[in-house]
Amino acid sequence: MRAKLAWMLTPFLVLCMSFSFGQEKTVSGNVTDQNGLPLPGVSVMVVGTSNGTQTDFDGNYSISASNGQVLRFSYIGQKTVERTIGASNTINVQMEEDAQALEEVVVTGYTSQRRSDITGSVVKVDSEKLGEIIAPSVDQALQGNVSGLTVSATSGTPGSTANIRIRGISSITAGNEPLYVIDGVPVSNTNVGTSGAYSSLSALAGLDQNNIESITVLKDASATAQYGARGSNGVILITTKDGKAGKTVFSINSTYGFQNDAITGPVPLSAANRLELTAEAYFNDGIFPSKAEAQDYLLGASFADWDANGRPEARWDQVVRNKDAVIQQHSFSASGGDEGHTFFASLGYMQQEATVIGSDFERISGSLNFSKDLTDNITFSTNNQASHMLQNAFLENSAYFESPRTVKFFLSPLVQPYNEDGSINEFGGSLPNPLYLTKNNTAENRLTRIVTNNGLTWDLTDNLTFGSTFNVDFQLYNFRSYSNPTYGYGAPTSGDASQYDRTNVFYVFQNYFDYNWELNPDHRFKFKVLQEYQSNRRYFVGGAGQNFADEGLEFLDNLGTPTSVSSSYNDWYVGAYMGLVNYSAFDSRYVLDLSFRREGNSRFSKDNRWGNFWSVGAAWNLNKEDFLADSDIVNALKLRASYGVTGNANIGLNNYQSLFGYSADYAGEGAQYVDTFGNEDLTWETSNTLDIGVDFGLFNNTVSGSFAYFNRDSKDLLLDVPLSRTTGFTSQVQNIGELNNKGFELDLNFNVVDTEDFGLSVGGNLSFVENEITKLPLDPNGEERTITTVRTRIETGQPAYAWYMPTWAGVNPDTGVEEWYINGVDGETTTNFNEAEAVFQGGNAIPKTTAGLNLNLRFKGFFLNANGYYAGGHKIYEGWHRYLNESNAYPILAFQGYTSLLDRWQQPGDIARNGAFTTSATPWQRHSKYLYDADFMRLRSVTVGYNVPSKALEKIGLTKLSFFLRGNNLATWVKDDNLLFDPEVDISSQNGTVDPGETGLETPPARSISLGVNINF
Amino acid sequence: MMLLAGAGLILGSCTADSLEPTLTQNKTVEGSITKVDNLYSVLKGAHNIMTGAGYYGRDMIATSEVRSDNCFSNGNSGRFTTQGEYEQNANTGFIWEEAYETIANANIIISTDVTTLEGDQAYGEHLQGAAMILRALAHYDLLRVYGQQNAATSGNLGVPVVTEFKGENLDPSRNTIDEVKAAIYNDLQTAFNMMDSAYDGDKTIVSKYVAKALEARVAVYFGDWSRAVSASEAVINSGLYSIVSADSYVSSWTADGGSNVLFELAFTSADNRGSNALSYIYRFPEDAPAGYGDIEVVSTVIDLFEDGDVRADILGYQDGGTRLRNMGKYPDTAVGADNIPLFRYEEVILNYAEALLETGGDALTQINLITANRGASAYTTVTKDDIINERRKELMFEGFRFDDMMRTGMDMPYWGTAQNSLGTLSYPNNLFPWPIPIGEINANSNIVQNADY
Repeated sequence: MRAKLAWMLTPFLVLCMSFSFGQEKTVSGNVTDQNGLPLPGVSVMVVGTSNGTQTDFDGNYSISASNGQVLRFSYIGQKTVERTIGASNTINVQMEEDAQALEEVVVTGYTSQRRSDITGSVVKVDSEKLGEIIAPSVDQALQGNVSGLTVSATSGTPGSTANIRIRGISSITAGNEPLYVIDGVPVSNTNVGTSGAYSSLSALAGLDQNNIESITVLKDASATAQYGARGSNGVILITTKDGKAGKTVFSINSTYGFQNDAITGPVPLSAANRLELTAEAYFNDGIFPSKAEAQDYLLGASFADWDANGRPEARWDQVVRNKDAVIQQHSFSASGGDEGHTFFASLGYMQQEATVIGSDFERISGSLNFSKDLTDNITFSTNNQASHMLQNAFLENSAYFESPRTVKFFLSPLVQPYNEDGSINEFGGSLPNPLYLTKNNTAENRLTRIVTNNGLTWDLTDNLTFGSTFNVDFQLYNFRSYSNPTYGYGAPTSGDASQYDRTNVFYVFQNYFDYNWELNPDHRFKFKVLQEYQSNRRYFVGGAGQNFADEGLEFLDNLGTPTSVSSSYNDWYVGAYMGLVNYSAFDSRYVLDLSFRREGNSRFSKDNRWGNFWSVGAAWNLNKEDFLADSDIVNALKLRASYGVTGNANIGLNNYQSLFGYSADYAGEGAQYVDTFGNEDLTWETSNTLDIGVDFGLFNNTVSGSFAYFNRDSKDLLLDVPLSRTTGFTSQVQNIGELNNKGFELDLNFNVVDTEDFGLSVGGNLSFVENEITKLPLDPNGEERTITTVRTRIETGQPAYAWYMPTWAGVNPDTGVEEWYINGVDGETTTNFNEAEAVFQGGNAIPKTTAGLNLNLRFKGFFLNANGYYAGGHKIYEGWHRYLNESNAYPILAFQGYTSLLDRWQQPGDIARNGAFTTSATPWQRHSKYLYDADFMRLRSVTVGYNVPSKALEKIGLTKLSFFLRGNNLATWVKDDNLLFDPEVDISSQNGTVDPGETGLETPPARSISLGVNINF
Repeated sequence: MMLLAGAGLILGSCTADSLEPTLTQNKTVEGSITKVDNLYSVLKGAHNIMTGAGYYGRDMIATSEVRSDNCFSNGNSGRFTTQGEYEQNANTGFIWEEAYETIANANIIISTDVTTLEGDQAYGEHLQGAAMILRALAHYDLLRVYGQQNAATSGNLGVPVVTEFKGENLDPSRNTIDEVKAAIYNDLQTAFNMMDSAYDGDKTIVSKYVAKALEARVAVYFGDWSRAVSASEAVINSGLYSIVSADSYVSSWTADGGSNVLFELAFTSADNRGSNALSYIYRFPEDAPAGYGDIEVVSTVIDLFEDGDVRADILGYQDGGTRLRNMGKYPDTAVGADNIPLFRYEEVILNYAEALLETGGDALTQINLITANRGASAYTTVTKDDIINERRKELMFEGFRFDDMMRTGMDMPYWGTAQNSLGTLSYPNNLFPWPIPIGEINANSNIVQNADY
């Protein structure tokens, strides 16, 4: 291993040569465009040296050079011009537009391609679009901007993770998260939090979005097969900003705003409601002969103090609210370079408060991207991103009594938050006062992340390039919790504390050759061979304990009783070899892409470790055919198709062996137990994807867009196959099962008006995906091993995690009892829940249809951008209804219900949503009453702003100044009125800590309004 | 050219070896048991599984009590209401998984060929015997919870008897009640013969005479009276145990390893059971409602005890004297660091007394050994009801009452969260056997669900 490392570093040790210069003189001149207008910022360089300059605002330049040397003039979108220096000291140049160069180049994985050469489904989102959503983590900005991609935040807590699904879900047990690639290197962007109970923290939040140039999303196999076993779920390529040669540009981006919950959410019952409902429940249960007598009793018992004190209503939802929570981000960057080197450097700061007390997020980040031509054929580049994040987290992934987010649903309005003297009321009972806890307890996530990506490219000949990349992604995570010894859950044990540290170190080595071969100008080939090795090592250590001698001590060293020590070390490795061929005929009229990757993964046993992945893609640019070449209508028309095999190995480590675990202890001594059932045959899950599309541009791109159809068959699914529990295990990972995702995507953009003073464009995308399980394992009797929970079932012919539960038949108007259909569909009803058959309720929690719509308007210096998102065809389930939204004992006696409960049966004839109130604690009964259509529309962002005209700016030395007002999540429409929670819910199970597709008590998304300024100088 | 050669070397160097994962905190099952001490480690692991909140750490005992006429759930934290109100269904979890996990680890010990191991082979056999006791106990627990012996719909299904880890048949059917019982007796007999008291150590690991105590318990449950007599006598005649005296009855619950204890599961403060401790479900951490404390004692239970009976001192009141509580058994509410006895000598005596009564022997002497040490009046004559009643008082909150009511065919009263009567379930009843968990039914179609679930 050590020897190999040395070899991999060899390319970096190659030294550059030095150059000598002849006799110099000063050459000057003027550069204009094809219309004769001066061109500022043109790069002027003496070929073969690192000597270069740029034209000024009026297109003038001057440079030192010798006779016989060649000056190269280059500018984006113009054909490069070369002039040999003769006797004259003046060289004027008129440049010509280069149609080919103007065509956008898109990063498509390990290579970059011109748009017309792309054979797959690739969507690029540029930095301006990304900037429209102000959030710590850039993935949130993809929602609505990429067809076929859905984003579901796990929580609105600042810095927490989001689940991204590209074209549905391809696996039942293995991960469905796409692969993230930063500047060409696969990285991990998962949750770094160690505790499933506390807020999650996304590693991606460590990237300042101001440093991101663009994000490219790869959806089809021709693009993702390059990533082999990690390509099945799609790939998200993040390209960071580079400097451009020329005058150093300084840029300041700043926004400051305020946030509140995007939707109100359920409103808790008041004390008066509670009195009424409790009295009613007592009456219904026959404990009192009338409601009035029951009420009199209550006013003399649990409601006596409240009554005597003038019936004060404790509004816990308002007490814990952090109204107009601050969100701000500021970044300062400098970029530039001379011929021979470029740089981009930035500093950033972001801070976001949660919309309830006790939680916030803070990040400082810096970056330096630097590229240097070591010689005229060797270039060294280094991209570095470093950040430190602090998140004050809280217990939110279940119904924690101590969480300020959940208190409004658990604490009775009879209990006052403050004493009469204004101090915090330290009341007893099961539910402590969160005002005290948020002030005196600690739960913090810290992450320090450094991504450093260093590469060397060596142009061995004009056509052959060797490159080498070494990347380190270092993530240092700390978690710390502390419960005070005075009040709350820490009190019985005189306080408790825990600390966990985790270090993740990822290395990626890549070595490659690029070879361009032109058979003749009509037949061009590009080859790439690449070798890649990735390792991840994870070190974890932590401890917890109880009993502090005094308050204010929060760290482990001061604990009287240590209760646990834990540690772990994990590693995984991926090795791969890859070859790519791109063939372009007749100036890209026909394009053929081939890729092959052989990849090995440490998650599988030696015999099953290696897998082969490949793809074929082809494109036909019809607009380059003679019959369309002169068309006034069609300016771009491409048919494309691709087919390929990708894989997924996103399962737990060391699953293939039968293992003893040693994490147990008994009577103070170490003990062992069998903790992994094992499966030696474990291997890759594979997906075969077909993608067919058409890209078009009409009327000189006034109308442009694309349409794509895809069909992805996933087989050998890595599935947690349920085992008979008599084995001592609940499941075993096996390669069994197949599922299919198919659908279409449509992107359209319409440039209505585009003049110098006025511009209007409308764009949108629509996608539809259908998911179906096609094969599952059978048990010895030939019966399918379905995976059934109380809400979902995995069965062939249904989408993955399809909702499956008894069907609610409503409240019987005569009796006030809730009823269910015996057969699960219609007809005879029953009041015995166990008698009601569970049936598929149609669909799962993943939207079938998603759409994005955007509008861009500018008039003179003013601009307006708006972006909306729609998702539909899916259902979500209301969590915790047994305790908070059923007419049983919990919402009125133990916890705190919603006002939706006021719609209840009181007397024969009542048509009500909820049955008669009772003091009984009904058991968990999950049924269709609490399953809602989750279709929603959301106005994701609206920005209005003003760009100060450049003439005015020249006087004050600025090149850009714009002000804007930006709103995020300003309006939300939800189809189902009974859905009280925010419709955007977590769709991943997060390793079983939350229920996928279920509304939880996490922080909902926020609505924000921010004021911002961009300054360049 | 050097560089090209170098690059070629790099490209060729990525072999399977560089993809080998490290195992630092696990060992493979195959090949890692090489010493007798390894068996001891797995045995401790099996004991540890039994300490889980899903098994003897809480649910086994708490569920049995809340389903009996001793207790009800006040729903303070939303726990045990489903169990107490007989609203369970196939999604209401119970001991199925934990019991079979215990069996899986016991099977690894039992199937090891001790002659291949380093160390004292007789000790190895002793440990295998201990594993058989745990396997028998887990099968008995499964049988009394899931077996159809108390169902209204007649059936003779017990639970699958599993004797191999990763054996041939991973999808077993339910054995009959008699088959399970036979397997239990067989394991206990074999265990008793394999074990040597000289190797018995701490009471937190099952010992030789636990085999006989369990045999007596199972025999009493099924009315195999003469077997119960002889098994009880084996324990009594060992002379290893004694009944705790009246003076130290209450305090014996605060100490570990008493002379009356045959076997107790170890719980230390480092285990930090926290809110999942058995003690935490029996009472509030302070007087007023707080924490969990869902399992409350039916208020009339205090009337069972005559004046001077020290066992009444186990009970107490909370919430301003309004809620009757188990205050004395498993008293460490905050941390749950009390060991939980699973076999007490007093139970052996009560089993013996009942078996003697059924077989015409001298039950009176035996039952008066209990009353004499509890500050209670001696019996002058003794009936079956007296013995069942004495068992209720002696073993209250330890998870015996439900099974005593079942095996004697009693009807079952049950209550809502405010101790409001929800009625009485007549014996036999399909709600008495617990439903097989839905996960088992879905994974293994050989399993037949109990009636009405």
